[in-house]
Amino acid sequence: MNKAGTDIQIAICGSAGDGTIASGDIMKRAAALMGYNVIAFDVYPPEIRGFGKCISRIRISSQQAYSLKEQSDILISLNDSHTIPHVGEVRDFGAVIYDDHLVSTVAEGGHISAHINAAQVPYGFSIRQISEQATNSARSRNIVILGYVAGLYDLPNEHFRKIIEAKFAKKPQAVIDDNIKAFDAGVLVGQAVFKLDDVVVGKAGDEATGSKAVMMTGNGAVVRGFMEAEIQSYFGYPITPATSIMERLAVELPPAGGNFLQTEDEISAIAAAIGAGYTGSRAATATSGPGLALMAEMLGLGVMAEVPVVVVVSQRGGPSTGLPTKTEQSDLNLAVFGGSGDAQRIVLAPTNVEGCYRCAGMAFDIAEKYQTPVILLIDLYLSNRYETVVPSVEASFAPKPREPLKLEDHQPYKRFKFTESHISPRALPGEAGFMHTITGLEHNESGRPNDAIHMDMTIKRHEKLNTAVNYPGLNVHKRFGDEGPVDVGILGWGSTFGEILETMYEAQAEGIRCAAMKVVMLSPLPVEALKEFFADCREILVPELNYEGQFAGLVSAALGKPVTRLNRATGSPVVVKEILEEVRRLSVQSRAPLSAAE
Amino acid sequence: MNERVEPVYLEEKLEEIRADGHMDFRSKSLPTWCPGCGYFSMAEGLTFALKQLGLDHKDVVVVSGIGCASRFPFFVSTYGFHTLHGRVLPVATGVKIGNDDLTVVAVGGDGDAFAIGGGHIPHAARRNVNMTYLVFDNGIYGLTKGQTSPTSALGFKTSSSPYENGDVPLNPLMMLLSYGASWVGQAYAGHKQHLADMITEAMSHQGFSFLRVLSPCVTFDKTDNTYGNLNMLVRELPEDHDNSNLMAAMGQAMQTDHPAIGVYYQEKRATLHQAMQATANRAGGSE
Repeated sequence: MNKAGTDIQIAICGSAGDGTIASGDIMKRAAALMGYNVIAFDVYPPEIRGFGKCISRIRISSQQAYSLKEQSDILISLNDSHTIPHVGEVRDFGAVIYDDHLVSTVAEGGHISAHINAAQVPYGFSIRQISEQATNSARSRNIVILGYVAGLYDLPNEHFRKIIEAKFAKKPQAVIDDNIKAFDAGVLVGQAVFKLDDVVVGKAGDEATGSKAVMMTGNGAVVRGFMEAEIQSYFGYPITPATSIMERLAVELPPAGGNFLQTEDEISAIAAAIGAGYTGSRAATATSGPGLALMAEMLGLGVMAEVPVVVVVSQRGGPSTGLPTKTEQSDLNLAVFGGSGDAQRIVLAPTNVEGCYRCAGMAFDIAEKYQTPVILLIDLYLSNRYETVVPSVEASFAPKPREPLKLEDHQPYKRFKFTESHISPRALPGEAGFMHTITGLEHNESGRPNDAIHMDMTIKRHEKLNTAVNYPGLNVHKRFGDEGPVDVGILGWGSTFGEILETMYEAQAEGIRCAAMKVVMLSPLPVEALKEFFADCREILVPELNYEGQFAGLVSAALGKPVTRLNRATGSPVVVKEILEEVRRLSVQSRAPLSAAE
Repeated sequence: MNERVEPVYLEEKLEEIRADGHMDFRSKSLPTWCPGCGYFSMAEGLTFALKQLGLDHKDVVVVSGIGCASRFPFFVSTYGFHTLHGRVLPVATGVKIGNDDLTVVAVGGDGDAFAIGGGHIPHAARRNVNMTYLVFDNGIYGLTKGQTSPTSALGFKTSSSPYENGDVPLNPLMMLLSYGASWVGQAYAGHKQHLADMITEAMSHQGFSFLRVLSPCVTFDKTDNTYGNLNMLVRELPEDHDNSNLMAAMGQAMQTDHPAIGVYYQEKRATLHQAMQATANRAGGSE
């Protein structure tokens, strides 16, 4: 991509309890306030406090960015033993900021200064001492370093102060004052230092989002979409990384007149959502892979009894309890196929924070139209990462008023009537004259148990989803990059697509004819669009964050064509460099047999 | 299951029965239970109660799990939701939360309730969801043709306990009393009118009402919960039983050798809906 303007990445690394994530939070919010595009992602250990490693990475850019960079421009250490393994991720002529105060207890080689490469620029200063001088406590080290960065790179201080004041607004005034003191002390030290690295922080630039932008996480965007769609009932059970959706709705739903209930488990959460959905209430739940496994049977009931319900699934490393605080894309098979029987449901996998907002906003409409469960499949990397988003003004997710069925048109009323669209007229409990029973048993048009009709009903439940891939206002797929035949097409889904786009732009810059396509609707698959993409690409590469290549398998099976897989199950986002190497290899391979034939 | 064709010769008989009005709440489907099953009494009892309470068909939702008792929604003319094994309470809770104007009746058997669904009961009870939970307890899995259930007696022989059941049975009344159910009662399928009155009373209660109905499985249990045995053992709660006294209720519930029928316990307290409204008020909502 175009590297003009500002495009820097800051990594702050410390131990749980050092305030690392809080420090990163202030950094990214201040940057967004300055008008930069921000993408930020925190990595933290499952332990709340102790010795686990925390890293907050913030990319600040004057242009649209799609993912984090694999190399940071600035690395700040709040804990040397945790930070030393990350020194290598700082680019040449980038900065490493650390505490150079002599600590007698540090073992030989335990100090970060011994690990900084010759091409990197070390900035050591007495972080702890300055913190103690400013606030009589070492606890404000994480704020001192922010001041240091602001001073060193001449960032507008007022934005930091504003964010610090807002962050500690509920604390006593002394806490706010101390943090401002710590920040100002850091600024003074930073300003006094000769800048030796080549990190440039320019203006936010023309393409920057300015004050219209809102910074939110994927989970925050889901909540915003839900609220704009006027969600009425939410049922949840705590599970990382979906919990923040529940916590936010616990705050926002009651004053908005909605129903919020923390249930006894995930089974009850989806069961209650289906119960509420049955009455016409816009109902949702959110969970992660282990919770989805428990919900699988209920999803089948939703499909069979044709009840709308929305389920957000934020994937983490699996199987079993797996890696609760690390990302992975390995619940695709469970989301698309999980449960007993032929039970096709709608699965949407947004690729960025804005997509989370849009998909969540439209999920209820889709679930109600097709009378079936809709799964919003995201992952920890998308749930927790911050992006600056400009909420589209034209989007309106508010429900249209329901038009009740007319009794004279439905004599006798058949809840599961066969129709041309395969979608049946739906009456709600409380509506006079339409009394019926729905069931998880196979049933006839009236809803009575019936085995003989199974084939016809199975066809109905599948065929009714056919038009979903053309759902108005929803980009269920999108192509980027070079038009027409290309050497390499990168096909992706979910959070990985940011890295895929960055890779594609880099490959194009190298002269490789390259395109990328994201698939947002994983079930039903937009097969026609995929066929066109496959026809245009000599080689297809599918990078994803799992070992088995679940999306590659899904697409291969649907199109009957092989793809090249790039699978990473490391708990971390996929790396642009690795995808790029594969694109280069495939581009050479794509031309070799062709030139031989010529 | 195949569609049942209604035998024509029933029509005349049905005409007579329709005259009393309770038939209004029956659907066109005939119950699939075995002749003599205690569940016929509950069907009669519930339709009696619905009529007695003057409820409109459209405002009633009968939610059930899986099992013989759970077939019930198909046999009433209200709205119905036949869900999954063990999940009747969370679904019914969702229905009630989704539309508080509906009268919700949850129905299930002992396996559905106390085995697979056991984890949900404490939470529906403590939340005081304003609905009625009818558990038809025959101490056996009937729909799967006679296996031991959590309320089967010690020493009971079934196809899954061919060498006698060695597990101590649960005491459902003690469970519900300690879970915080705000209305706990017991009835017996052999005393039909009492059962019908108890269902009416349970449904009149504001909050979570739990009614256990002792009910023989005439097909798979020829030894324990038979009409003959239950007729001998079942007694009424003492006339001076104070059903606002939780300790007294527990004392009665522990006398399992001679199960008593009647209202063990009832209390008035905020329902889930009221609690959620209070939350909304604290949150500064308009409701």
